[in-house]
Amino acid sequence: MKKWRRLTAFLLTAAMVLMMACTVMAEAPEMDESETVKIGVLVSDTTSAEALAFRAYYEEYIQNQYNVNFMYSDELKDSAGEASAIDNFIANNCKAVISLSSFDRPAQIAQCSGAGVYYAVATGTLTDEEYEAAKTNEYYVGAIGPDLMTEYQTGYDMAKYFLDEGKTKFAIFGGAIPYYTDMHIYRAAGMLAAMCDVGEGSYKDATGMDIIGKIYEDGAVETGAIGNVEVVGYVGGYDMDDAWFGKCGEMAQTEGLEVILAVGNGSDFFGAAKGEGVQIASVDAYADSYKEAMEAGTLNYLAGKFSASIGPIFMATYSAVKGYPIRDAEGNALALSQGYWVADSAETFNTYYAVDSSKEEPAYTKEMLDGLFGSSYDDFAAFVSAYTFDEIQGLK
Amino acid sequence: MKMTKRLFGIFTIPAAVLIVVLAVSRIQGVALFATEGNWVSFFRSVANVMLVTLALSINLNSGRFDFSIGSVALLSSVISATISIQYQLPVGIMLLLSVVLGAVFGFLSGLVYVIVKLPPIIVGLAMALFYEGLAFAVTGGYGVSFVNNTELVGFPSVRNYSLIIVAALAAVILIFDYTKFGYNYKALLSGQKVSVHIGIREIPNTLICYGIAGALMGAQGFITATNTGTIQMTLNFGSIGAMFAAFLPMFIGGYIGRYINDKIGCLLGAVSMGLVSLAYVRMDVDSSVQQIISALLLVCFLIFLNNEQKFKNLVKQGR
Repeated sequence: MKKWRRLTAFLLTAAMVLMMACTVMAEAPEMDESETVKIGVLVSDTTSAEALAFRAYYEEYIQNQYNVNFMYSDELKDSAGEASAIDNFIANNCKAVISLSSFDRPAQIAQCSGAGVYYAVATGTLTDEEYEAAKTNEYYVGAIGPDLMTEYQTGYDMAKYFLDEGKTKFAIFGGAIPYYTDMHIYRAAGMLAAMCDVGEGSYKDATGMDIIGKIYEDGAVETGAIGNVEVVGYVGGYDMDDAWFGKCGEMAQTEGLEVILAVGNGSDFFGAAKGEGVQIASVDAYADSYKEAMEAGTLNYLAGKFSASIGPIFMATYSAVKGYPIRDAEGNALALSQGYWVADSAETFNTYYAVDSSKEEPAYTKEMLDGLFGSSYDDFAAFVSAYTFDEIQGLK
Repeated sequence: MKMTKRLFGIFTIPAAVLIVVLAVSRIQGVALFATEGNWVSFFRSVANVMLVTLALSINLNSGRFDFSIGSVALLSSVISATISIQYQLPVGIMLLLSVVLGAVFGFLSGLVYVIVKLPPIIVGLAMALFYEGLAFAVTGGYGVSFVNNTELVGFPSVRNYSLIIVAALAAVILIFDYTKFGYNYKALLSGQKVSVHIGIREIPNTLICYGIAGALMGAQGFITATNTGTIQMTLNFGSIGAMFAAFLPMFIGGYIGRYINDKIGCLLGAVSMGLVSLAYVRMDVDSSVQQIISALLLVCFLIFLNNEQKFKNLVKQGR
């Protein structure tokens, strides 16, 4: 009897130890860095401040911290280019593809999963329909980036900032609205919605999120009064020809104009708005040209992506390649939103920029990202959702 | 040729463009030149188009289609702006630097062409990629920003653009119409083999042509840079687009050149396009509509040039 008791106690203890060991292993999976992991990066933009900052973070920080090798595509102009670049990645033994190009994401996912290559979306999100189709695909890692509601709110907050300062005459630079780029349309809609709220009016008889549909109908923003606020000018597109620069200049010099709200890169207005006392707000990235403009008072508000924002999606991809995919309880891939850092003074901008441009101590360091390796979906989501500058600094 | 016929030939196109543009803008209830900014915009457009048109036509007249001129403008303005910011040089020196560097890069394009002896289109494309890449490397891809430099961004004005237009036009007329190089250039245009046989040295002439085209594009790059206070990078032939704005004014210039110096023809072609461009601005014409109008204008003018005699006969029959 004693023997049996002893044996039972031994087996129970052994089982507990084994379970504990398994639990510990599950909590802290081992990161095997013996083999170099090649990751392809699809890019449709190679020259913007944002694209360069992202690339610098991957190549000058992440690549030095982990045994990974990033392989970049050329500047992509269409879905055929994306397919060709992915073929090239596969031929070069890339184990995963991180995409910053959005011409045809379902096709990218299908191509990668067909070749057994993991696929992730950086600084962007899939549409609901696309996500439904891809969420259980074992090779689809997920997407982290500003979702369209975040874009809407970013535009809203930008306009509200100046409305709260008592500004009433605005011009909007619509960026890629004529090409029906969703994020630019949502940002502009947010701006107009804020004007409707504060100006106590409506935009083409619409308020709030109904404005989104109005912009989609026109492919442009209509000028005119919104209650006691007025949109006095609008320019869209990136034609970069004489007529386009003329329109930009004309808009910046509109009589009574107080603020230019740019849904995208607003640096082309810096020269045109000089000496006119016009304030400029832009959505872009933390870059040297914006630093100068902020210090000169030419730029007054920036909602910028920070370069390390693509750190978590790298870790999710790396984790999946190493056999620890991050999935929710139903086995679905990541779908997380992440917003912008907002600077409204040169001092704030410089504080953010110092961290964002650092290659030694960037916003998301190796120590922080290591904690995400093989983590639970909830832990991962909690980490990504704390994206403001202060929240990230608080994690260090 | 009768003076009246000459004047008619010289001014018909710009005057017709002006009348049409004024009429349309009046119908739209818009004043074409309402503010000083409109004048600045018009003169900038004229200067830009004239410089690119001259740069393009210098080589194209000789059968050399140079796709690298846009990248020459980009690279020369990037380097001149970087040096000017670093050493706090005045705006005039930046312009001079940009012109000199443009001449050097243009000359290098020509040198590669005469050495490798490949078709000029291929060499032009290769040099465009090379210069775009070089500009990207020089700035680390971040471009150049000098929005804080009030002198540099304060350059755009009617007076300054007029000075550039007059200086560039005078220099080109002087070089091509009053020097031995210019006579040789014209001789090579009219009969390459014969000219070479009589002792005209074709290669130095070609190199100088590339150099002058580069210098003009250096000035154009300077104008573009000082307009915004930033120079943004472009890769994968992104700089080529700059030259497409020059085709219609070049054909117009060629037509007007029958009645007056062809360089002045280019200026009048640029003035015509400047008026059209300003009309787009003042009437807030959508970019897709702009492209359709510009393409139609080009096609219609080419149809006219190719069927000129038929049109004249029709007019005579009508009388």
